[in-house]
Amino acid sequence: MAFGVLALVGTRKGLFLLWGEDDRHAWRVEGPLLDGWGVYHATIDARDGVLYAAANHIVYGPTVQRSADVGKTWERSKKLGLPACSGLTLNAVWHVEPGLPQQPGTLYLGADPGVLFRSDDAGETWEPNVGILEHPTRGRWFPGAGGLCCDSIQLDPRDPQRIYACIASAGTLRSDDGGQTWLPVNKNVAACYFPDPYPEVGQCVHKLLLHPARPERLWQQNHCGVYRSDNGGDSWEQLDGNGLPSGFGFPIMIDPNEPDTAFVVPERSHEYHYFPDGRLAVYRTLDGGQTWEEMSDGLPRPAWTGVLREASASDADSVYFGTQSGSFFALTDSGRWVEAARHLPPILSVEVTQWSA
Amino acid sequence: MVRVTLPSMLAAQAGGRQHFDIEAETVGDALRALPVADLLFNERGEWRNHLNVFIDGADAREQGGPACPLACAREVLIIAMLSGG
Repeated sequence: MAFGVLALVGTRKGLFLLWGEDDRHAWRVEGPLLDGWGVYHATIDARDGVLYAAANHIVYGPTVQRSADVGKTWERSKKLGLPACSGLTLNAVWHVEPGLPQQPGTLYLGADPGVLFRSDDAGETWEPNVGILEHPTRGRWFPGAGGLCCDSIQLDPRDPQRIYACIASAGTLRSDDGGQTWLPVNKNVAACYFPDPYPEVGQCVHKLLLHPARPERLWQQNHCGVYRSDNGGDSWEQLDGNGLPSGFGFPIMIDPNEPDTAFVVPERSHEYHYFPDGRLAVYRTLDGGQTWEEMSDGLPRPAWTGVLREASASDADSVYFGTQSGSFFALTDSGRWVEAARHLPPILSVEVTQWSA
Repeated sequence: MVRVTLPSMLAAQAGGRQHFDIEAETVGDALRALPVADLLFNERGEWRNHLNVFIDGADAREQGGPACPLACAREVLIIAMLSGG
């Protein structure tokens, strides 16, 4: 039986499926699917194998697309929008997060302007989360270059009532009652662009991940540093000294089996969104962020590009990322990166899953 | 009866069909009858900002937008975006 890794690579002009074989050395590129759409994020629901894509177009607006046959045919969500009383209209959809195994048919959707949706019918219709839509701190949120995007949604596998939603730039919000109410959890996380660098809200979270084996442990790559929390976001520790060339970056990856392991891709600064001195490298910590080591064997240099917030993924065997210059890289067992595809459109998102045939 | 013609990306979202013959009083009604209406209107029922619609060769936005009566019109063209990367 053949088996390998399937990478869902969302780009500015469609979705590509990259089928990896032979320990991630050989790859086959399929696509573009959803031709012409900006696929901000695509994921396969592990519960039933259905593929979801958050797809946006400058003329035709934001949509969620669903495929039950790995991209051969697609259906659009039938109901997606914000109520008139909110005074808001939906600008873009950013991230689709399937619900927990015990919540069949439930999905979450993060979107701009700083909104979270929930679907209980496998993505056919979406209802906005009122607690976030009407959050009392909303007036202190402001959009970054990507809009007021809700780009990270994490569910606690041990506590279905606990949900994290991150908005740039509102910070991290945590619900302990299944999404009814939301508490800002940004203590010690800098908003380095404000006169008060440690406000209650206003932090620019680029990506947040919960460790599945230790759900109280959170990792985040922020506009203003790399952080870890060991208490569900109640407090945070900044980790970007000791080996990182910069605290600025967008993606973060974790090892699902090792809570102390994480990977980041630093960029020069918030003013210069490319790798420091053109040195493309992933940095790995094995000790919870106390020290970092460079992993660049096989990566091209110089590389005057960047990696966007959704454009990385990891599984138990490897880590993966795509660049704004259209290259997709996978780490092989030898520790060397393989360029699995190049000359794709700018890569917006990456997710991986296993395939077998 | 007016014939509505879709650009290729919209046709792909309409099951591959590019032409629709529709009975409608206004151009807005004609577009709302399409299977891609959700891609043409936002949640407030407004045309999306960059949408270009022509009625028998004339820009519909200059004729009242969605409320423009079709009267004896024969053709509605939805034009793909004019610029972009």
